[in-house]
Amino acid sequence: MIKKILQFSKLIKSGDWFVIILFCILIIISAKTLWNLPQGKYLEIYKNNEILAIYSLNQQISKTINGIKGKTEIIINNGRVRFSSSPCSKKYCIHQGWISKTNQTIICIPNKISISIVGTKKTYDSINY
Amino acid sequence: MRLNNLLIYFLISFLISCSDNKIYKQENYIFGTIIGIKIYGESKINAEKVSNKIFDEFQRLHELLHPWEKSIITDINNAISKSKSISINNNEIISILRSAKYFETQTQSLFNPSIGKLIDLWGFHSNDLNRDKIPNQNKIQKLILSKPSMQSIKIKDEILTSNNKNVQIDLGGYAKGYALDQAKKILVKNNVKNALINIGGNILALGKNGEKAWRVGIQNPRKPNVIATIDLEPGWSIGTSGDYQRYIIIDDKRYSHLINPNTGFPENRTQSATILIPPSKNSGIKSDVFSKPLFIAKTKNKINIAKSLNINYFLIIMNDNSIFISKSMNDKIKWEENIDKKNITIF
Repeated sequence: MIKKILQFSKLIKSGDWFVIILFCILIIISAKTLWNLPQGKYLEIYKNNEILAIYSLNQQISKTINGIKGKTEIIINNGRVRFSSSPCSKKYCIHQGWISKTNQTIICIPNKISISIVGTKKTYDSINY
Repeated sequence: MRLNNLLIYFLISFLISCSDNKIYKQENYIFGTIIGIKIYGESKINAEKVSNKIFDEFQRLHELLHPWEKSIITDINNAISKSKSISINNNEIISILRSAKYFETQTQSLFNPSIGKLIDLWGFHSNDLNRDKIPNQNKIQKLILSKPSMQSIKIKDEILTSNNKNVQIDLGGYAKGYALDQAKKILVKNNVKNALINIGGNILALGKNGEKAWRVGIQNPRKPNVIATIDLEPGWSIGTSGDYQRYIIIDDKRYSHLINPNTGFPENRTQSATILIPPSKNSGIKSDVFSKPLFIAKTKNKINIAKSLNINYFLIIMNDNSIFISKSMNDKIKWEENIDKKNITIF
């Protein structure tokens, strides 16, 4: 099997690689510039202070995330979002209930998971309120 | 083969350059609010280390100054309510109380950190705001007539006494600003030059975000978006007092946590007051404290108060959506919404 792949890769000359990689770069650039996210709000999920995923809020879906303490479940329900289960002891994150406005955030410190709602364009570094 | 390696190298470096890893970001929940730290241009390890030091300091202050969970402040308040003196062998607390007293005088008592009883009466000494009745008006009147003030507190040889039993210290409008100044000290001490600290909306900028200034969005008090953005020059801070974060609704009427010490009632003519404070040793405190008098003062007094406190940058949004803005603020701000020019008055 490995031999076959090696044989096959020998068939591809450096010129072919050039074309393949050129197209890969083109696809990435055009995806980045042309693939404008549709209007609406997005949910950013952070784990350990690093962004894990971005979801549209315009859907009905639940997501399970493995935090440092265990599994956290987050429900997105047509424009709003909440923590539905969490391994933390005080469950503050769940008691926060639904959030739906841009810039709203819920943090679960024990499990190191946070979610915040963002709009499509964000031209500033922080919010004063 | 050489060409391959070169191309793969370019591809990888292109992909890396797409992810913005010059900014380190961490969030936490202290002081009953969300804290955000952004640090630019430091290694991840260093940025994380310094952020954790700042969060540790905030946690220490939270426990030290908490207005209703056991802290030195609640110990002092208990002693005052029993007309007892209390010994304080903590220089930090003594200097905080003196500084709070100074700011009360400066703001003509519109920032009054001794009205803890009033704040409690309105149900704001709680993590859950679920009060559904206006407090007994007689109780409010009694408290107002007793004129609680930091002036009644005397500290001599580390012994604190108050000749007014109704004084209850609540540093709610001060502690976050003090924490910002402490954070600045920690950043400077650890040689971090560029950072943005946000404690529940009160923000202090250190240095820049790379080539650009740190840019801050100002929340629209009634809509889920920012009304304007503004660039914070190195060392500047911004603070807002608003009626839209901590409030209760009684009979369809909004009562915010910003209580007028003269009437005992939440101020209801103003939606928000935002100020910018230039760099100074206690600019964090000023950005927290000085938005209160601008929010609480009567409409026609707001501008005079701003002048007397040397606040050159202010933006006040009134309940009828009219906007009072200082000229310097108006030159600096970038509106993110279409604002009817008729509603804006420039001072």
